[in-house]
Amino acid sequence: MNKPLLFLILSFFVIGNIIGQQYIARQGQVTFFSYASVENIEAKNNQALSILDLEKKEMAVSMLMRAFVFKKDLMHEHFNESYIESDLFPKATFEGNFNDIENSLNQAHVMKGKITIHGITKNIDIKTTVKKVKQNYAISGEFNLTVKDFNIKIPPILSNNIAKVVLVKFKFQYLDYESN
Amino acid sequence: MKVINLLYIIALTLLVNFNGNAQNLLDKLNKEFSKEPVNEIATFKTTRIGLSHSIETRKKGALEISMYNRYWNRKQGTTQSFLADEVNIRFGLDYAFSDNFTVGLGHSINDKITDGFVKYKFLRQKKNSKKKPFSMAFFQEVSYRDNNPNSGSYSFYNNNSSNSSSIYSFTSQLLIARKFNSKFSMQVSPTFITRNKDFANDQSRSQFAMGFGARYKVGGHVSIVSEYYSVFNPLKLTKTYNPFMLGVNWEVSNLLLQFQMTNARNFAKDIFITQTTNNFNFHDGNFHFGFNATFVLQTNKNKL
Repeated sequence: MNKPLLFLILSFFVIGNIIGQQYIARQGQVTFFSYASVENIEAKNNQALSILDLEKKEMAVSMLMRAFVFKKDLMHEHFNESYIESDLFPKATFEGNFNDIENSLNQAHVMKGKITIHGITKNIDIKTTVKKVKQNYAISGEFNLTVKDFNIKIPPILSNNIAKVVLVKFKFQYLDYESN
Repeated sequence: MKVINLLYIIALTLLVNFNGNAQNLLDKLNKEFSKEPVNEIATFKTTRIGLSHSIETRKKGALEISMYNRYWNRKQGTTQSFLADEVNIRFGLDYAFSDNFTVGLGHSINDKITDGFVKYKFLRQKKNSKKKPFSMAFFQEVSYRDNNPNSGSYSFYNNNSSNSSSIYSFTSQLLIARKFNSKFSMQVSPTFITRNKDFANDQSRSQFAMGFGARYKVGGHVSIVSEYYSVFNPLKLTKTYNPFMLGVNWEVSNLLLQFQMTNARNFAKDIFITQTTNNFNFHDGNFHFGFNATFVLQTNKNKL
């Protein structure tokens, strides 16, 4: 075997190894719940995207607000048109850093990061649990968001219809970035 | 040679690594989103701009229960009633059989007109795409009323030529709307109206009109709307005026409220477009205050 070929194989191995540190979730589930005295509202997004970089210990999430499905279709329209203004702010994103994943598998730990909704970025600590199933990672967790923090206005007449604090749950199942 | 090869491979490796690392994770995710243009939603928030229909249809299974009111004072005679001398109220039910197809029925109490309509939305505007810049819908209304001498529209018709005392009117519209940005939408509606009875002093029974409507969103839940119809061949018998409306639409959860100033007192399209005999101003008999309340009941629910 000549040396250039060896190097070529070696370099591919190196590249593969580095990119292999990244995992992607294409059908992440994000659900939010608003419990208020007049009505409970629940919406689910099954198309949230997330990427996990083990080398840099970073995680990112991005999703389209329009992809949230509500039980009632009129709520979907109100959510996009009147509250979240998805014409102007189509996406919600999250960027976070985690500690060593391998040592904290299957136990809750806090991920620090920045969340952007409705064009407003806030620092946030999210309680997450990382699981590893056959070399693939799954991350789940939940957190609370205060609607007011993101400049989402609820008219006083509807203050009993929409909770001031909304519970968000998420679940991402990652696959190797290259292999799919 | 070997050294060059080696350098080349190292350079390549570095380049690939560099590319991979310089890319922000969020940028990487942005590339994963589908590039397909999506449908524009909520060109108008309500299925009526004010006087007449907007391009909007409700999602499948939505039942709209509506009560439309117009209040006005009489021009002459006794004006002793509380608030307003006269009121016309239309009670209506609309049901969305699919996301694009709606059927509705209504009856108004003052002019005793029963109307029914079908609306089919066949083109949806795409967001950020030049291919489909408009939404389009077809609208067909049929209205029925008894043409007795006591009814307001009796004098319009040639009552000698036909024994039939019923008037059926047919209004066909093509609704063409565009959402220009998140706040401003506009609609034009070419309209054709025909009846089963000729007009008095006139051999015709068909008329053409063009409708113009617009909304401007002033807040999350509130928009200002306006509507106007221009009739190309108005009645020859009496002077008629084109209907105009300026109003505010306000949505409160499932309840949609519309407040309007207008000169139209009827709800059936063929009447208010072609047989409005008062101009738009603030004198008694001309000024009409409109209040529409629509409750949207979702009869089927999405599974999450």
